[in-house]
Amino acid sequence: MEIFYVFAGLTILGLTGYGLQIWSVRAAFRERDSDSGCEDVNFPPVSILKPMKGLDDNLFDNLDSFCRQDYPEYEIVFSLQDYNDPAYKVARKLKEKYPEKDISLIVERCDAGLNPKVNNLIPAYKAAKYELILISDSNVMVEMNYLKEIVRKMKDPNVGLVSNLIGGVGGQTLGSIFENLHLNSFVIGSVCFLDRFLKMPCVVGKSMLMRKHDLEAIGGLKAVKDILAEDYIIGKKMQKRGRKVILSNHLINNVNEYWGLKKFINRHTRWGKLRWKIGGIKYFSELVGNAVFMSCIPILLWEPSKITISFAAFVSFMKILGDYYLGRIIGTWRTETRRSGENESSIRQFSHSPVHCLLSPVKDLIIGLIWFVPLLSDTVVWRGNRYIIGKDSVLSTCPEGGVLSWRYRLIDVVRARFARVA
Amino acid sequence: MLLCDFHIHTKYSDGSVDLRRTVDRFGQAGFDAIAITDHVVNGDNSIGKLAHRFRLSVTRDNFNEYAENIKHEAERAWDKYRMLVMPGVEISKNYLSSDKSAHILIIDIKDFIPACLNYEQIFLGAKQQGALIIACHPHHMSDMSRETLFLWNNRDKYAKYIDAWEIANRDDVFNVISLKKYPYIANSDFHRARHLYSWKTLLNCEKDIESIKQCIKHNKGVAITLFRN
Repeated sequence: MEIFYVFAGLTILGLTGYGLQIWSVRAAFRERDSDSGCEDVNFPPVSILKPMKGLDDNLFDNLDSFCRQDYPEYEIVFSLQDYNDPAYKVARKLKEKYPEKDISLIVERCDAGLNPKVNNLIPAYKAAKYELILISDSNVMVEMNYLKEIVRKMKDPNVGLVSNLIGGVGGQTLGSIFENLHLNSFVIGSVCFLDRFLKMPCVVGKSMLMRKHDLEAIGGLKAVKDILAEDYIIGKKMQKRGRKVILSNHLINNVNEYWGLKKFINRHTRWGKLRWKIGGIKYFSELVGNAVFMSCIPILLWEPSKITISFAAFVSFMKILGDYYLGRIIGTWRTETRRSGENESSIRQFSHSPVHCLLSPVKDLIIGLIWFVPLLSDTVVWRGNRYIIGKDSVLSTCPEGGVLSWRYRLIDVVRARFARVA
Repeated sequence: MLLCDFHIHTKYSDGSVDLRRTVDRFGQAGFDAIAITDHVVNGDNSIGKLAHRFRLSVTRDNFNEYAENIKHEAERAWDKYRMLVMPGVEISKNYLSSDKSAHILIIDIKDFIPACLNYEQIFLGAKQQGALIIACHPHHMSDMSRETLFLWNNRDKYAKYIDAWEIANRDDVFNVISLKKYPYIANSDFHRARHLYSWKTLLNCEKDIESIKQCIKHNKGVAITLFRN
């Protein structure tokens, strides 16, 4: 019974942390009112760099939302490694749809480093015309006033980097519903919590606005070519150089519609490994923060009893309520942004189903199990290649020969077997 | 080259994605032309009756609504994605024996054609409407439960009516079509969102319905591609 009380204590600690996360998300969105709306800002020209690989859900609309920005002068550089990439045709279509816009399409193979996104960015960066650059993933969809909102943050010359809050939308399958739930609770909550309470920049690469000279000063893109978490490290290096790293509370949408469960598990296993290598001992706070998983451990490890099951059910209920509330905060923000009207967005509306929140405890249990994987494995398979992740998520290639290589080959064989069975 | 898929199902029959989302799925992926081809199942045996009972078939009663909705989606898809959406059906003559079963795509259909007619009547009815006739998955497949071999087994009799044969369907490739030098196209037989990634047709012609039909009929400037992410 004592063990139960230990886990119950940890669970309450986790729930308290989750409550603080909700509070920090709410506060972040409230701040927006006092911050936005002033038009007396010079809007310098911006180069939007779009590294692309494959078809993301909603790709056409995602890219289209960047072509429709209400902003005086900007260019978009779509960057691909390969003409056979299916995203090439989508980028071509958009270039044809907006002949009046400054859109360029670069297809150039670059093998500068081990991070494929950075390899994709290097040619786009070379082609960028303007001093302000925005690195933006192809799986995000934004409102028409997005660019103005984030450039506004740059009016302070001490600001080196602006990143954004991210919300998940569009779940049609179990994998994408889990992904969106995770983005709308754990990810947005953690980012706001770290920013507000610990003043830690937690840059997510889906949207990074910076000046070229600041990026050059920290070594340019080549400095992060072999780093898995290039976004986080860029933010960290900026801060180290005394530049402010700002979190804009203008929410951007990460559209996930048709993800399979396998893709969800793979992504969070990779992200877990990354956080373990960057955060070290701090990574354990994530396990404690997963209140649903902590409350279920006594049931899984010891005999289920009335008290343990009731406690886990209560915690799950609280988590469902919390996620529902966060979903409402995000949904209200989206509605108000559209209603505020100065830049009526024409992007497709995605409904947020409250019923999805009922799946939140299941998602948390899966995330809890995934949490252990980074402790056992330090490799990731990315686009067909296996890499070892080192400290600060520095990548290195797996050895081709020797004792270690057998270990990795064995893992590959086991994974292939499981994939076949699945 | 136009990226095309002429074999797509929606919730009007046994597809799992509704019409609007299906059109968006292809539009978002940069396609140039697609055909919506929901099943019209023969109701003259127990398999067909079950399909009708569970509403897995377009019927004479809902055909006009089906065609109207496709027309509406076609306008939307053209405005938004510059993608052509053509109305079609998959005439599905299902029997317990795969040797007796046949599936036929009728693309650019205007009026309802029942699946219980005989083959000549179906083909002539489609020709009168100026529609394209495609023989679907005509040979042995990896999923044996979906096999429809009747048209291939009776090709000497029916090949003259057929404008093109599916040389590839989703993951299967039918090399017999190339050996016989029949006109060909490749389609996904889309039922689920993941079926987007499958065999497709590339056409070297203008982006309008008549040019596409002529290109397929004459089978010049036609290529197939395995569309992968």
